Amino acid sequence: MSNDKPTYSEAVQRLETIVSTLERGGMGLDETLKLYEEGAELLTLCKHELAAAEGKLNELQLDEIETELESEKQ
Amino acid sequence: MSSRSDVTTGPLPIGQFVQMVRRTVIQDPLFRNQALKGEVTQWKQYASGHTYFSLRDNDGQMNAVIWKGKCIVDSSIKEGSEVVVLASLDLYAKRGNIQLVVDKIEPVSVLGELEKKKRELIEQLKREGEFDRARRPIPPVPKHIALVTGAGSAALSDMQRLIENRWPGLRRTVIGVLVQGPKAAEEIVRGLAITRKLSDPKQAEKRGEPPVDLVILGRGGGSPEDLWAFNLEPVARAILASPIPLVSAVGHESDILVSDLVADLRASTPSDAIERVVPARNEIELFLDEMNERLTIASRRQMADCRQVLAVLQSRLLVAPIIGLNRAKGEVIKLSARLKMAAHQSLARQSTRLAQLEASLIAIHPQRVLERGYSMTQSADGTVLSSIIGLKSGQDVILNFADGSAGAQIKKINSEGKK
Repeated sequence: MSNDKPTYSEAVQRLETIVSTLERGGMGLDETLKLYEEGAELLTLCKHELAAAEGKLNELQLDEIETELESEKQ
Repeated sequence: MSSRSDVTTGPLPIGQFVQMVRRTVIQDPLFRNQALKGEVTQWKQYASGHTYFSLRDNDGQMNAVIWKGKCIVDSSIKEGSEVVVLASLDLYAKRGNIQLVVDKIEPVSVLGELEKKKRELIEQLKREGEFDRARRPIPPVPKHIALVTGAGSAALSDMQRLIENRWPGLRRTVIGVLVQGPKAAEEIVRGLAITRKLSDPKQAEKRGEPPVDLVILGRGGGSPEDLWAFNLEPVARAILASPIPLVSAVGHESDILVSDLVADLRASTPSDAIERVVPARNEIELFLDEMNERLTIASRRQMADCRQVLAVLQSRLLVAPIIGLNRAKGEVIKLSARLKMAAHQSLARQSTRLAQLEASLIAIHPQRVLERGYSMTQSADGTVLSSIIGLKSGQDVILNFADGSAGAQIKKINSEGKK
């Protein structure tokens, strides 16, 4: 994974890997704690992403939105 | 007699009867909005603005009317033109004529021409490699969807309803455009240009919302001509120029349009588009809850395993010195046993050797020689005489035998071999 904030699908993929690694077992305490923390962070991130999808509903006609976008440029 | 005649005062006036027939004719859905194909005859455009004609083929014909301003009539239509009309049946009571009321009329040749242009555009895009380009992936959870579709259209309300079912409050911007008619392509292109602007993070930041990350270009079903804007090059180019993933959701299941071919995802209908790109929020939340639970359980179990390993190590640590001592003690015992054994063996070997020596000694003892008939001579002082040298006549000697001894006197001395 890159250093940038992972995307939702990257986060879910990594989370699945972490969970199955932990479920397979056989790692030390350090690694367990590290994986758990990473997993918990990813979960928070995923939930945050879900919340970010909520917002207001814009319904605009072509002309209004074009005028609006033009005025924002200035 | 039927009950009808009981309530009728006399024969039914024809006008009433014609109205009854008309009601039946116009109410039958089979006769509404039918697409019909045929040849134009008796084409008459009146000064009033209405147009009358007959639609015919070899098996039948019917009168038809286009009311003034009802639809655009292609100027190429004339006597003998092959046309496709969208029409509903009506009955003109005054004359008792059944006629087609036309909502739309297109010369077949125009449609043929359009089809040809569509094929050419597809060929051209194929040559340019536009169909081989990598499709932009659809975001698993879109944060801001732009719906480019007819304002107030059924397609829009279907999409809105489905979005609310699947993800209540999902952020979306509806960009209302004309989706049919001569201005449709231009408006769609403008609408898509707006989505490009809304997808710009800087622009979005100014507006205080996430950038648009998915575009749905949608329109409900219709006749091929209705959907034609989606087969035009400017629309195709605008779709290709989209910096964000775009879903083409135009028409019905079977309509394949150029917009479908160049989009990142083709949905068969606007509703299908929503089903495919808007995840069901409760399912995702359920999944994340489940992951959370699995993560916690697995981590706890792993920690318990670690603790158990620690406990085992601790108890081993406690008994380790004792085990070490015992092992050392065992070594000592083993070594002392080996030492004992070695000593014992060595002694046994020695005693065997002694016995052998004793046997040898016994074998060579003088007594054994005496027993065989030899005797040993000693001088009076006990010296064993083994030679005649030094012997003197008259010297006293002692003769030793096996069973005793006897005193004797040397009488004569002979050198060896001369008896």
